Amino acid sequence: MPRRRRRDLLEERRFLAPALIAPAVLFVGLLVGAPLILSVYLSLTNATAGSLTGDFVGFDNYASQWSDPNFRTAFKNTIVFTLAANAIVVLGASVLAHFLIREFRGKWLMRFLVLLPWAAPVALSTIGFLWIFDSLFSVVNWTLKELSLVDQFNPPQWLGEPNKALAAITTVHAWRLLPFATVIMIAGLASIPKEVDDAAKVDGVTGLKKLWFVTLPLQLPIATIAVLFGIVFTATDMAVVYILTRGGPFNSTQMLPMWAFQTGIQGGSLGEGAAVALFLLPVLAIVTVLMLLFARRVEVT
Amino acid sequence: MPLRRRDNLLTWLVVGPFAIVLAFPFYWMLQTSLKSELDLYNTENNPFGFGEGSPTLDNYRFLFGETQYAHWLLNTVLVGLVVVAITLAVSLPAGYALARLSGRWGQTLGVGLFLVYLVPPTLLFLPLSRVVAEVGLQDRLAALILVYPGFTIPFATWLLMGFFKSIPRELEDAALVDGASRLRTLTRIVFPISLPGILTVVIFTFSLCVNEFIYAIAFITSSDSKVVSTGIYTELIRGDVFFWGALMAATLIPAIPLALLYNTFLDRFIAGFTGGAFR
Amino acid sequence: MADVYDVHGSIGEEVTGTRTTRRELLRRGAVGSIVVVYGGATAKSAVGGAPRFRNRELKETLRIIQWSHFVPAYDKWFDNVYVKRWGQANDTEVIVDHINVNDIPARAAAEVAAQSGHDIFFFLAPPAAFEDQVIDHKEIVQAVTRKRGKIGNLAFRSTYNPRTKKYFAFSDNYVPDPANYRADLWGEVGIRPTSWDNILRAAPKLKAMGHPVGIGMSNEIDSNMALMALMMCFGGFIQNDKNRVVLNSKGTREALKFAKALFEQGMSNEIFAWTPASNNQAMVAGRLSLAMNAISITRTAELVNPELASKIELLPIPAGPNGRVGLEHVMGCYVIWKFAKNKRLAKKFLVDLETKYIGAFENSKFYNFPSWPSSVPNINRRLERDPVAKPAGKYKVLGEIAEKYTKNVGYPGTSNAGIDEMFSKFLIPQMFAEVAQGKRTPDDAARTYDRQIREIFQKWRNLGKV
Repeated sequence: MPRRRRRDLLEERRFLAPALIAPAVLFVGLLVGAPLILSVYLSLTNATAGSLTGDFVGFDNYASQWSDPNFRTAFKNTIVFTLAANAIVVLGASVLAHFLIREFRGKWLMRFLVLLPWAAPVALSTIGFLWIFDSLFSVVNWTLKELSLVDQFNPPQWLGEPNKALAAITTVHAWRLLPFATVIMIAGLASIPKEVDDAAKVDGVTGLKKLWFVTLPLQLPIATIAVLFGIVFTATDMAVVYILTRGGPFNSTQMLPMWAFQTGIQGGSLGEGAAVALFLLPVLAIVTVLMLLFARRVEVT
Repeated sequence: MPLRRRDNLLTWLVVGPFAIVLAFPFYWMLQTSLKSELDLYNTENNPFGFGEGSPTLDNYRFLFGETQYAHWLLNTVLVGLVVVAITLAVSLPAGYALARLSGRWGQTLGVGLFLVYLVPPTLLFLPLSRVVAEVGLQDRLAALILVYPGFTIPFATWLLMGFFKSIPRELEDAALVDGASRLRTLTRIVFPISLPGILTVVIFTFSLCVNEFIYAIAFITSSDSKVVSTGIYTELIRGDVFFWGALMAATLIPAIPLALLYNTFLDRFIAGFTGGAFR
Repeated sequence: MADVYDVHGSIGEEVTGTRTTRRELLRRGAVGSIVVVYGGATAKSAVGGAPRFRNRELKETLRIIQWSHFVPAYDKWFDNVYVKRWGQANDTEVIVDHINVNDIPARAAAEVAAQSGHDIFFFLAPPAAFEDQVIDHKEIVQAVTRKRGKIGNLAFRSTYNPRTKKYFAFSDNYVPDPANYRADLWGEVGIRPTSWDNILRAAPKLKAMGHPVGIGMSNEIDSNMALMALMMCFGGFIQNDKNRVVLNSKGTREALKFAKALFEQGMSNEIFAWTPASNNQAMVAGRLSLAMNAISITRTAELVNPELASKIELLPIPAGPNGRVGLEHVMGCYVIWKFAKNKRLAKKFLVDLETKYIGAFENSKFYNFPSWPSSVPNINRRLERDPVAKPAGKYKVLGEIAEKYTKNVGYPGTSNAGIDEMFSKFLIPQMFAEVAQGKRTPDDAARTYDRQIREIFQKWRNLGKV
């Protein structure tokens, strides 16, 4: 009887699984896979100005970019920003999650305040920082001037001096990601079964020892995931640099996505821009795979 | 009890500074949004206080009266909700399949899905513009609704995969033994238990949509169909003139309700981990 | 007192209903600037729901996209008055979308990739890189030439490619770039900023008074323009009239040395962090004593701080060893895509727009100067008669600047794709900033950037565009 057969089919793992996964793969394949392949193609051509076709030039774009000092700066910065911001985020989020999971007075309010940076659209909150770091109206500088910590007429230019600008951008990235990472860490902490907690208490393991031997190891897989997402969101983000410094001062704060945009879209050299954007892909892929393997290994079942 | 009070104090000492640093920009936005232009651009004035003409609601009045801000807010919410729906519809089954039904190649596929995030949208938007135009959706909100799931689905699938894995198999096996089909088990037992996970996906997906910027700029130019991020850029930044007061107001308005919403969901999400399936 | 927002010229007095409300608000001085924006932003909602004059479907459709003009009143006039009238006269529904000037390249690229979009696309700088994607605008140029005489030299050099013999854009307007200075402060020092040497002499004193000079060295358009003009005044040019790169020259090195000295003695660190709005804000806040900028500074000051506005005066670009050579501040260039649906009407629209440019000139508060000078008769008299200007007649100098001291980007060559890419990458501000901050010597900088720009040019030369 046909109906039973169809039911049986769906029972078969072999059919059910692909059937369930197919829509997702389809969506992602069409919306990301196909454009990705096109981007790879573009990076091997000399396409310009939005045109989706060009003459084949092999790896010229990659080579010329690699020898471009601005590209190297962008590459180096991407790694530096990402590591710095995420180091701050991981430390901050771990600490914060540890405390936010408890019950205490004012918890709801504190959590609300902590979640705000993540709730605001990144494009808009970065404009807020543009105002906070403004060359003339910066509230940070005003405060520092009032406390007589800086020169009245030559206050630090948070977006105009290379090191300060790097610091500013890293700060904004960290600020934005901290809530996100905290939430993930809280989830991780919360998912530690009560049995483990009870066992530890019975064994007399408390305080710092508990933290080191029990909580942290159990948190590691989740923490790794949080770090991974943090890394990816920082390394591929363009909005923050675009709004705060546009890669300045003199291209010292360029990041790969921003440089790709500036070269490919604003400068019109689409092929080169595609090459720049794709440079990061293998690096991130390797990082991803390594971290995922790590997460799986430290998973305590 | 003294112990509890000491704990409270310690917690406040640690969480307090974090909260201040994270929330300060928003306080600053609020302060700036209530100032008049005359006050704002006067370097002599104390920025933490109010000068002549302040505090004023003019920036807010301008935002809602003279731009299509309210409209953009609605557009943003609309896009967010529909994309969340699509994402859930696609990722729930996919996450389940990857968690339970697929073994080896499931892992690989999971990683593959994640690799999607490694390509910056700064260039993907070009081929996608072509797709959008071919499908006749250029300048329509539907373009965003079509494209956003491309990057929300992998994330959601990931989250749900992890979540499903943490649900003990015994529950499902029990149901199967009782004669229910796999599909029925899915819908009657597994999905309801994963409500916290679903809520998480809702939050994260919505937040990804609201934050998106490049595609919105590339696909939509008609003022009616803009979302908050792009509308603000067009109306409140004109050449070399920034309307700071209104800009700050514009950022504050979506952030607060969203943060409230996330905060509310967060409780349920955590409750799901500590209660529910593990007892 | 004549309301400065009144619509002048041949285009009508139709929109007076909403004007009274805005006048009342104008009287509330503190929020004067909000009023300007009120005017502009209403345009957006109005375009959506404005009633048709006659209750019938218009036969054709024309879609235009352009930047949100810094003068919102211009957008209001353009969207609500001008295109509606033109649309009625040509049985066409004209839809105007607006976009932030910074997002123009992204959207343009997206439309090209999609091979679909607007009929007329506006750029704020000559879009040489898009040459292959657009029609030859020769017809439009010829049509306007028949009525208004030869195209201005500036517009010609900015939109014509001598190698491919193609007009890759149609420029309707450009914006002259005066020096804005605080007459009261410079009066105290007893010098006028008529030459770069004068500025260098006065700058230390002004800085000591707390009012530094402001020539940006940041990745933004104001810096680009000011520094390139500075270079040219010293005899440093990016290319020669054959479009060959000649950056590494004595003139460039002199300019770099000068800029470094000017920074050290008369400017502050903030110039490296500037956005296009920064010099405006700094001047309107009373801090800067000098800035190179279009009249957006004075127009903003007139609304926010009229007393200060009366102290800001305008001069042409200061003279250097090579004389006074200035640049346009921005250049309005329209293009019609090859894939535009309604090319015939698009061309007609542009011809009509440029032929009678008075409305645009007046409604932009003299920001938009016509690329065909004779499209606005009696420019000097109009400039002189500006009702808000204090001291009276201060905008008259714009006419002189436009006529004599405004050259195209890439002068004495043309604005080609190589120039375009160098411009978008802010290589000139970068060069100056590195020298000013002591990261490179002038010789090293001139050499290094000459090489970088040569590479860019070579690439476009290989593509047949330069």
